[in-house]
Parts: sequence; structure tokens; C-alpha cells
Amino acid sequence: MTRTVPVVLGLGIAAVITVVLCTLTGPAGFGIPSTGPGGADIVGGIRLPRVLAAFFVGGCLAVAGAAMQALFRNPMADPYILGTSSGGALGAALAIVFLGGLYVPVFAWLGAFVAMLIVWSIAGQKGVISVETLLLTGIAVSFFFSAVVSFLVAIAGQSVHQIIFWMMGGFWNASPGDALLAAVILVLAGSALFAVGRDLNALSLGEETAAHLGIDTARVRWTVLGSSTLLVAGAVSIAGSVGFVGLVTPHIVRMLLGPDNRVVIPACVLAGGILLVVSDTLARAFFSDISVGIITAFIGAPFFVWLIYQRGHAA
Amino acid sequence: MTVRDRIRAENLHVGYGEQEILKAISCSFVPGTFSGIIGPNGSGKTTLLRAFSRVVPSAGVLTLEGRDVRDYTPSELGQTLGFVPQDEERPFSYTVMQVVLMSRYVRASRFASLSPGDYARCRGALEETGTAHLADRSIRTLSGGEWQRVLIARALAQDTPVILLDEPTSHLDLAHQAEVLSLLRRLAGAGRTVIGVFHDLNLAALYCDRLLMVSGGRIVTHGTPGQVLTAQRIRQVYGAEVVTSCHPATGRVFLLPVHAAARPPGAARLNVTVISGGGSGASLLHFLVGKSFALSAGVLATTDTDYQAATALEIPCIPIPPFSHIPAAALEELEGVLAGADRVVLSAHPVGPGNLPVLLALAEIDPSRVVVHLPGGRDFGSYDFVRGTAEAAYRGLVDAGARCTATYAGVLAFLDADAAGSGGREPGAGVPIIPGLPAGLPPNADRW
Repeated sequence: MTRTVPVVLGLGIAAVITVVLCTLTGPAGFGIPSTGPGGADIVGGIRLPRVLAAFFVGGCLAVAGAAMQALFRNPMADPYILGTSSGGALGAALAIVFLGGLYVPVFAWLGAFVAMLIVWSIAGQKGVISVETLLLTGIAVSFFFSAVVSFLVAIAGQSVHQIIFWMMGGFWNASPGDALLAAVILVLAGSALFAVGRDLNALSLGEETAAHLGIDTARVRWTVLGSSTLLVAGAVSIAGSVGFVGLVTPHIVRMLLGPDNRVVIPACVLAGGILLVVSDTLARAFFSDISVGIITAFIGAPFFVWLIYQRGHAA
Repeated sequence: MTVRDRIRAENLHVGYGEQEILKAISCSFVPGTFSGIIGPNGSGKTTLLRAFSRVVPSAGVLTLEGRDVRDYTPSELGQTLGFVPQDEERPFSYTVMQVVLMSRYVRASRFASLSPGDYARCRGALEETGTAHLADRSIRTLSGGEWQRVLIARALAQDTPVILLDEPTSHLDLAHQAEVLSLLRRLAGAGRTVIGVFHDLNLAALYCDRLLMVSGGRIVTHGTPGQVLTAQRIRQVYGAEVVTSCHPATGRVFLLPVHAAARPPGAARLNVTVISGGGSGASLLHFLVGKSFALSAGVLATTDTDYQAATALEIPCIPIPPFSHIPAAALEELEGVLAGADRVVLSAHPVGPGNLPVLLALAEIDPSRVVVHLPGGRDFGSYDFVRGTAEAAYRGLVDAGARCTATYAGVLAFLDADAAGSGGREPGAGVPIIPGLPAGLPPNADRW
């Protein structure tokens, strides 16, 4: 409790430093490229929007993960693992293929919402939520929606590159507008979730517990479903399906600051942003701009396995 | 209908979806009472509690403070009714204090911090449940009992006029059970309405003002513990054999289970009479009741533990009033019983002037039909309260040929050897029954 302020402050400073350093880092090395014309343009016009987009998308995914974990009473919930990202990707892909790219975020939101509702109605309703049911439902939803996306992209004659974008994510096309969109969504949905932070605390001990503590559980549930899918939709329409940020970040934040969601949600904005900016910079500067989802999976998948192992070995 | 009822149910039907679990429930709870809901497993007790707190839908009249429960907003309900679940998931490492502070959310403004008053109230609740030292611990590290007390503290700090508890002592040890239940009594005494589901009927009887017995989804009966907990009703509702007694310190009704083994089918092999007194024969009767003997007991005062045992086990005996000499009629009846008995088991018991005639009557029958149970480490003298007459009578029986054993197995071996058809003259081969045991020597050889 007493260390909340210094740790959050530290995260804020770390976020600023990360954004600055990562903007200055590129395949050409560290610093503003001096060779050739327009070095400053590369930094300001290409790298900075990409770094900011990565930062806000990271924040979106981390906050969505934290909220979903509280709703499902399970620290293993994550937009990628539960298929919410695939749902968003399907919505976005449908909009691109059939509407020529109109309303991509709106359709992504619809897709994410449908995916989340499916998982919720199967695994999330009464009493104790079984981890197995939750994860298996999520995986099934994820596989199915991903398959539909691949199918759509293939018959629409798009490149394999596009499929990779939807499956693993990337910031190759990030524009200043994307960064702004992610920031706006993060502020809107993040505030809504922060406002129900206390209710999320109670809800994370059980739906009936929350009801007995005087919390309007239906309202909180719809707030979480609506806001977290909006966050995921924003992230997916900008960067495709980037995995594990929503799993790893809230976990680290809880280890540093405890599980109070009124602290976890703001801290996730910063920590998720840092995590995704660093991952994207690694991909961009050192691994010939591979998909950022590959980097996050390198970190996140072993982490996920570790969580499962821990669960088996907890008393 | 009186507004004084905190909770009132009338013709309430409760169920999950199609399945109706409780039918036509009518009951009410007034302020200042501690009520217990009891009933067998699956009878619907917990469901009733959850219907009161609105997490299970119900049809029919259900009012809280005179208002329909369904008209309450979630926040109003949270300020009127607190609920202690039997257990709760702990997926995240909240501290104990954080969990107890959740009780104050309902009164706090959404964006304001919790006040120092909220913290003080929660610390007070932790102290009342003896968990203040756990305040900064992660809830995931608590034992089941500690966690249960923290959940009770959270409901206390919620400061609601009604507190519902689902088996609040199920994970607690004896000392903490008493502590928590005394606390709940005090809360009721201070005007709150406390309603708990209880599995342990004796705890419920000891602490609750009123009991509500539920079975098969209906209320079977309600009233004071003494009115509700009768041996007959426990047999009907639980299918269990109990004897009722009085709690020695509180005078409240107290139930003791009787583990009466089913009597083996078929005809009894032998008529066996057990002569005992002063509680010496109760457990022997219990030991023998499941075996295939036609058991009877001797002359027993109605305050004697042996009498209660014989009654509970449905073994015939000759009851006499306490603190009196044995009436001549009873003695005559005893002589008849002894004459009809194939074997007599004499459980060594204190003998004074009042019951000496029983011992003397035994001297009149064939000693080879008698086995004396003398617990190890005791001698006949220690049972004598008539200056040597009883000791002499005991010893006379053994000297005349009665068997003597220190164990129930020895008694059974004697009876079985008889039953096997040896005629009772010789005990079974290898059965260490000690004939003519010298007085004063503990029959150590007879332990196995």
C-alpha cells in the first residue's frame, strides 16, 4: 500500500525513458540516423508513431487482460488465449474484405464481443469457474475464429503476410492516427474499468460474494465485457493479434503492487506499454522486423506454462 | 404481518430453473435473535439462506424490513444483509485487510478513498474474530479456519442488521467454534438478526435461540432447541438414533448418537442378562447389543447411565426410582430374569447397602453360568461400600466357579464358547479366562 506511489511513479518514468530510447533505436543503430537525408523524418515520422502505437496498444491489451482476469476469477485469462483477439481479428477482416476497410474498429469490437460472450456463456456463468473449461473454451473459440480469418484472407487473394499479421500481430503499418485511436480507446475504456475497480476486486472473489457486498454485479459484468472487448478491438485493428501481453503484464503488476484493481489498472497501462514497446523494438531493430507476436510469445508462452506449473504445485 | 419481522417468508418457493428445491416455506425472523437452520444433507438449508440473500430466485412473499427483497437495489441490500459463505475462492493474493475492507465499498463513494473510520471498523472486526494479527497476510496463505474467521469479520464490518452464515464453524476447531458462536450470540443480543445454517446439532442447540428444521425442501418444525430436537424427530428426519440429554453446564438439550449396530437376523442364540450399575455396564451393553444374544439388564435406577443406555438400546431392564432400596417386587422380577437367563454377565460395579441384594441374588444361581467382568487394575475391594460384604460376595462367586475376565473380548469368548454347544461348563480352548482370580491382583494375564 505504502509502496504504490513510488512504484507507479517509477513505472511512469520508465515508460517515458523506454519510449525515448526505443524511438532512437533502429536497424541502423542507436541515435538519430545521420546518414542519408531525412534522418529526423524517420525518427519523427515513422518510428515515433510506431512506438507510441505500440505503447498504447500494449496498455490496451494489459488493461483488458487485468479486467478479464477479475471477471473470470482467474489469473490465466488473456484476450489472446480466450479467443477475444481472434474474434476481433475476424470482425476486422470481414470489414476489410467486404467493406473495403470501413469501420474496421467497430467490426473488430463486434467480433471481440461475440467471442467473449461465447466464452462467458460456456465457462463463466455459475459458481466456480473451472480453469480447464475456461481455457479449453477459449482455445476452441480462438482456433475457429482464426481459421475463418485465414480462410477469408486466402479467398480474398491477400498475401500470406496478411494472415501472419492477423495471427501474430505487427506494427508495420502503424500511423499517427493509429496511435491516437489506441490512446483514445485506452482512456475511455480504461477509465470505465478504473471506475469499477473496487467492484472488480469483490467480483474477483466470486459473483455471489460481490452481490452480497452490495455490488451491482450485472452492471459491472457488462462494463467489463464492453470495455475489455473495446480495448482488444482497438489493439487488433491496429496491430493484429498480439498475444500474452494481457497475461504477463497484470501478473507482474500484481507481484509488484498487489491485486487491488484500482492500482492494477493504471499500472497496467504503463507496464503493458513498456512491454510491447520493448518487444516491438527488439523485433524491428534486431530481428529484421519480424512479427512482434513472435517476441511476445517467446516471453509469454513459457510464462503461461510456468503459471500452469505453479497452479499444480500450489497447496 | 408486523414490521418488526426482519425477514419474513410466506409460501416461498425456491429453485434453480425448473428444479424446485424449497416448497411453501413460511417463516419469520425478528431482531435480536440467533436462529439456526438445521436439516439433513441436501435438505435445502443453504438454498434457503441464499434465497434470503436473493442470489437464488424465489417466488412468493419474501420481505426484508417489511419491504419486498426484490425491490432492493444491490447497494441497499448490501447495507441491510451480510452473508458469510462456507468457503470462498481465493484466486488472487489480496491481503486480509483488503478483503475485509470490501465490506465498506457499499457505503463508500466510487472515487473517494476509504475513510480512517472504515479502516478502524475493519480492524475492530478483525479483532472480534481473533484475526487482527493476520491483517497484512495474503489470503492465499491462510488456513481454512483462519479464512472462515476473516469472512465472518468481513460480514461484521459490513454493519448490516441481518447476518446470514452458511455453516460458519465448519472449518473451526473447538475453541474457535465457541469464540465465533459466542460472538454471534452477542451480536444478536445487540439487536441484530443472526441466521446460521448448522450441521452440528449440538452447537446449534447450545447457541441458537430458535431452530428451524428443514427436510426435503420443507420446514419440518421450528421452535426452541428443546422443542425441535427430540429423539423421535431426529429418527424421522435424519434416520439416526440418538439419545437426548441435558448439557450439564447450560441445561440446553444435547444429543448423543447411538451407534446401534443392526441386530443380526435369525433367532438369538442365548438369553444373556447383564448385571451392572453406576454406569459400569453401559459400554458393555453397547458392545453386546450387535451380537446375536437376547439381552436383558438387571435392576437399574432411572438416573443411572446404565438405565439410559439400556433404554436407548432398547434392552429390557427392571427400572427402580433413584436413591431408594430395591423394592421387593423388583427383586422378585430380577430372580425370575436370572432364572430364565442362559448366561449372566456381572459387570463389576460399586455395591452399597441399596443394591447389595442383587449381588446376593446372584449367589443363588449356578456359578458356571456367570462371567464376571473386572476391569484391569481394579480389585473387588474397590467396589465395596458395605465394609467387606460385597467384596466377599464377588469373591465367593468367582471361588464357586464363575469365570472372571478383564476384557469384553473375554466376556464374548465365554458367551460364544457356551453358544458353540460346550454346555457352558468349559470355556473355549485357549481363551484366557482366569478362574478363581485372587482378590487384589489385577488380571494382567488377561489382556490381549
